[in-house]
Amino acid sequence: MEIKLIAFGQIGEITGKELNIEAEDLTSLKAKLLSQFPKLADKKFAFAVNRKLVHDETVVLNENDIVALMPPYSGG
Amino acid sequence: MENYNERYARHYALSDFGFDGQQKLLQAKVLVIGAGGLGCPVLQYLVSAGIGRVGIVDHDYISLSNLQRQTLYTTVDIGKPKAQVAATRLGEMNPEVKIICYQTELNSKNALGIPAEYDIIVDCTDNFAARYLINDACVLLKKPLVFGAIYKYEGQVAVFNWNQKYQVNYRHLFPNPPRPEDVQNCNEVGVLGVLPGMIGMIQANEVIKICTGLGEVLDGKLLTFNMLTYEVFTVDISNENSVEDLIPKNREDFEATDYEFLCGISIRNIQDLSPEDFIKKKSDKYTVTVDVREIGELPKADFNHINIPLSELNDRLSELEDEHLILFCQSGKRSLKAAEILLEHFGNHKKISHLKGGIIALQERNNGKNS
Repeated sequence: MEIKLIAFGQIGEITGKELNIEAEDLTSLKAKLLSQFPKLADKKFAFAVNRKLVHDETVVLNENDIVALMPPYSGG
Repeated sequence: MENYNERYARHYALSDFGFDGQQKLLQAKVLVIGAGGLGCPVLQYLVSAGIGRVGIVDHDYISLSNLQRQTLYTTVDIGKPKAQVAATRLGEMNPEVKIICYQTELNSKNALGIPAEYDIIVDCTDNFAARYLINDACVLLKKPLVFGAIYKYEGQVAVFNWNQKYQVNYRHLFPNPPRPEDVQNCNEVGVLGVLPGMIGMIQANEVIKICTGLGEVLDGKLLTFNMLTYEVFTVDISNENSVEDLIPKNREDFEATDYEFLCGISIRNIQDLSPEDFIKKKSDKYTVTVDVREIGELPKADFNHINIPLSELNDRLSELEDEHLILFCQSGKRSLKAAEILLEHFGNHKKISHLKGGIIALQERNNGKNS
């Protein structure tokens, strides 16, 4: 399944703001990202699939899904 | 029209807002926590709009480097307390608003008391300890929370605890705080002055929408705004993951929680020194002050110290013979890390402290003092 990845903040600085990537579910996507971008290992971020926050990493991904990686911001 | 007030004539004229909308603002009580980059625009617009009562919480003092974005303050205010200066300026902007100034740092002892007096809480702080503290307090108090935060050219806004049926809070987004070394703040990464202005204004807009029932509140949604592209990305925050266990159950549990410790900003047995305490203590007997930054980092320290970079600390522990070790770095994160290493090695045989906020905080304090 090719999905579209959008990354924000510090995460986007590591992965690039947008990329297309093959993944079956969030677990495999995460593993793929970590091997491609080892710097992500110690970063905190949430997953949103098609603009809905997802905590269950077994969620299956479909072709053209948009997965967003959202880190916490603290500046003010 | 009874109670007609020319000041709000443009609100009265606005369709779907009108006199009734204004009356709702006049009855509202809003607490703004943090009077910095986000807090300034939030306060200016809420006070101008005629919110009935506005509380300001801030313990910080105005420094020169604040002025490129903290638009309530002027050059002559440097060194003065933010909450007080903000209250005075806002009182001039709209003397009809009751403005209450809390020149104090919110902590688990006062974070249930102060917000309890208000209808809506606005988080304009700049660190995770404060953000988790405020989130948990608002969950316990069942108060709507308008969250705003920035990073470089992006900002986030969300509204929590508003919808009583579908309760979502910050912990549904990020259940636990990140480690401090994984987070950069404005002091380190910089910020373009208009960004907190834009994000603060979205927060102020959410407050007005909550008060008046106008439009759609960002309830349980996280909005991310990119100022370089004007792209807005909004996601629904789900409350499927249970976060109840992460939030203190009651007042007693809450008051016993050390949020700075949870967020890794302070560590037991390591003393945090304010710039004032640092200046006093660095020349004490049997004390050595250690710069743990890498060689050549600026600004240089203009007081007596030795330099052992964090990267070499483990190999150079034997050089530290004094009883009291005071560490410092740029922002206070590496010095805390170094203090942990020393605590591990020396245990309670030495007294270990570090300069909270680093040399940046020291410099800002000195700049404030000199002007």
